[in-house]
Amino acid sequence: MFLKQASSLSAFVADKNILQTMGNYNEMQLKQNELPEYVAKKIKVEDAVGTTLAHDITEIRPGAFKGPSFRKGYTVKQGDLCHLMRLGKRHLYILDLNEDQIHEDQAVLEMATALAGPGVTFGSSPREGKLELKAIYDGLFKVQVDPLVEFNLMPDVMCATIHNATPVIKGQTLGGTRAIPLVIEKESLEQALEIPRKAYPLLSVKSFQKVKAGLIITGSEVYDGLIEDRFQDIVEKKLISFGSELADVVILPDDQARITAAVRDFLNRGLDMIVTTGGMSVDPDDVTRHGIRGAGVDEIYYGSGVLPGAMFQLAYKGSTPIVGIPACALYHEATIFDLVLPRLLAGERPDNVDLAKLAHGGLCLNCPTCRFPACTFGK
Amino acid sequence: MEDFDTLLKGSAAAHGHLCPGQVIGVRMAMLGCDLIGLDNPSVLPQIKSLIVYVEIDRCATDAIAYVTGVRLGRRSLKFVDNGIMAATFVNLDIGRAFRVRSREASRKLVENYAPGIEDKHRQQLEAYQKMPQDVLFEITQVSVDVPLNDMPGPTGFKAECQNCGVVVRDKKEVYKNGKVLCRICAGDSYFSIQ
Repeated sequence: MFLKQASSLSAFVADKNILQTMGNYNEMQLKQNELPEYVAKKIKVEDAVGTTLAHDITEIRPGAFKGPSFRKGYTVKQGDLCHLMRLGKRHLYILDLNEDQIHEDQAVLEMATALAGPGVTFGSSPREGKLELKAIYDGLFKVQVDPLVEFNLMPDVMCATIHNATPVIKGQTLGGTRAIPLVIEKESLEQALEIPRKAYPLLSVKSFQKVKAGLIITGSEVYDGLIEDRFQDIVEKKLISFGSELADVVILPDDQARITAAVRDFLNRGLDMIVTTGGMSVDPDDVTRHGIRGAGVDEIYYGSGVLPGAMFQLAYKGSTPIVGIPACALYHEATIFDLVLPRLLAGERPDNVDLAKLAHGGLCLNCPTCRFPACTFGK
Repeated sequence: MEDFDTLLKGSAAAHGHLCPGQVIGVRMAMLGCDLIGLDNPSVLPQIKSLIVYVEIDRCATDAIAYVTGVRLGRRSLKFVDNGIMAATFVNLDIGRAFRVRSREASRKLVENYAPGIEDKHRQQLEAYQKMPQDVLFEITQVSVDVPLNDMPGPTGFKAECQNCGVVVRDKKEVYKNGKVLCRICAGDSYFSIQ
């Protein structure tokens, strides 16, 4: 524990007391079960080629440069010897790992490599055994939760992520992974790495498709001009935010046959997605969902575990989703549409089970100022 | 590192002509390397310590590559298409990086540093050599965490496009519609097939 705490201080090796303590451990030749997990060994600079530095080495050139010229974990090369001599170094502390051990920074690179699937990257310079995982492009972040939990149950390793199915932008941090002790046994690391390797991709970003959508606004009150439509603006903004576009809009009365005909028309014209608004409840005039069914869909799911959005309907004709948004989307800033749309654009095909699973975290708290997606809704 | 005049001569020869961009590029590269503690970046062992991100594909970029020895094929030269006359010099060994940007205002100061020269091209050539560093450049210390898949060395990442079968290296694949695709098959192509 003491040694791990010391390693977490970036300049720990500057503390000669700690290093002296480590040296003493080495010299005492303790019994095998009493040996510390990490030992820093002092060697002459000329013997350092191929060894791994246990500490940063700072260089100061007045007026020009001040900073570490060599970092902890750096493998000393032949060409570095003159530079080290110029810095006044005659001896170095190096990591003295046995062949069954691996340094935390090398370990975390292997961990990140195994965890990061398509669309996920990470830096090449771990600090204290830690790396951030980032999105390579815009898309839907996906994490397989069960293997992630299993990975975190393994000793000496961890990985924390943002929630599954979160829309992310290029460069956004998706998670962090860390090798916990300064030195890890290779066998232990390999056991942990098997989990993401088997579950590959444990973490990924699904790229969004840019779709052309058709919008069918239903409601006799809108059709007759009694009230002004506000759905078009809402739907269009949400589509555009993911790089998609609204290709056509039609306003219809609560007429089942005309709604069916409009759905068929959009399908025949090859639009990638059809969105309907209104007419989703059980009132006698709410016939939109029946109109969609009448178009001859392949799958249809009515109802979801989300508030707002309980009366949501999702249907598919071939690969084209037909999304029935209930009228609640006029009032609430974030609804089930905001949870389902990114999944559809990422090429997923949610079904009734997926809509039901949204129940956990599916309650919008209707905050005075909406902070979605920075809230619990949909998480 | 050789002196400025020698580097400028060599850079102009490598680029094909002497121009103000060569002057700016050579000065930018010399300054950038100095800021990150590299005095001889184009030879071992320092050649493995340096990565340069250039933000424009114009004359100065060739000068930077000439002076520093960074190469696209060696993965030590990174092109970020920002259209800005700037470059960031990264010392991988010590994690130190500086972004050097050419100041637009310096263009208007050419007359001050090379008065009486009629030819604009020649005037810029002269002036950019004489301008003080802080007049010509804005210097910012930055942090660059080079992704592992962008690092020099053997590729550790390969994926096969599930549409066309091509092998995509270095995490440049796209996960789309449940398939791992090359960028071309994912619809992100710079060409169209005739």
